[in-house]
Amino acid sequence: MALQPTLAWLQDLPLPTQIRESEWLFPTIETLHVFALVLVVGSIITVDLRLLGWANRDRPFSQLAREMLPWTWTAFVVAAIAGGLMFTSKAVVYFGNIPFRIKMLCMLLAGMNMLWFHWTGTRNLATWDASLPPPRARFAGAASLLLWGSIVAAGRWIGFTTN
Amino acid sequence: MIKEFCDWLTNTPLSIAFQSADWFVPLVQTVHIIAIAILLVSVYVISFRLVGMTHGSQPLATTMAKSTPWIWTMLCVLLTTGILLTITEPARELLNWVFRLKMLMVLMLAGIIALLQWRLRRNPDYWTESAGRRLAGRAVGLLVLIIGACIVTAGRWIAYV
Repeated sequence: MALQPTLAWLQDLPLPTQIRESEWLFPTIETLHVFALVLVVGSIITVDLRLLGWANRDRPFSQLAREMLPWTWTAFVVAAIAGGLMFTSKAVVYFGNIPFRIKMLCMLLAGMNMLWFHWTGTRNLATWDASLPPPRARFAGAASLLLWGSIVAAGRWIGFTTN
Repeated sequence: MIKEFCDWLTNTPLSIAFQSADWFVPLVQTVHIIAIAILLVSVYVISFRLVGMTHGSQPLATTMAKSTPWIWTMLCVLLTTGILLTITEPARELLNWVFRLKMLMVLMLAGIIALLQWRLRRNPDYWTESAGRRLAGRAVGLLVLIIGACIVTAGRWIAYV
């Protein structure tokens, strides 16, 4: 499979090369990535804790989710762009890195969990919106907490295994 | 003086034990990052309200009262994990001017949050009572947003300076 030459070609493009060779560009993009990720994780945890009934129990779930989702998506777009730029700078190394693959897998699972919750967990939302969510919604909240915690852990682990 | 303290701390059994466990620093950093995520979002929700960029569905004083336990608990978690990281690599933190700047900003943030909480507890409408107060609230909210971003930035740049 011609993946390795493609990754090598990608990281040798002018911008990835500049990111890799500059003393300040990579740390700056990484800072942006971490800042955005912190907002993504913080806003998702806020919603997850409500789903589990551990915080904001007196607030309707729909109201809290409506307030938090713009934060989550805006920050996620920034984190994804910054993360993509970081990946291109050392595409060959990152692609072969186990923690990186775990992080990507956890993100995929977190996305699937969110879709599953959106399609099935919010069924009969009106009946539990202002009270403790049903087990399937609580399960989605717990899975989300676990997956996003793993994403942060794997992200940190990447830093210790690629330098 | 600080250099000698760092040398002493680096060679204590506790620091050596932390240094020799490969998983220790990444794990503690993970907890540190999750704690700052919860803290920052809690604080930013309030700051955006003060700045006037969002209009929450409940009074600001109520939002602040609910966030208070989370904010201070997360600050305690950050302090604990920060101490553990410092014990593991004292020179990396204590001799670094970015780390010192970060600590100064954390103290400023904690002070501003305490002030905001105190004002809202005494008078829930404090920041909206007059045009002057609204303006002051916007300035404080903006300051919190900037300090929060600077703390995260400094945290990452400790590794590069």
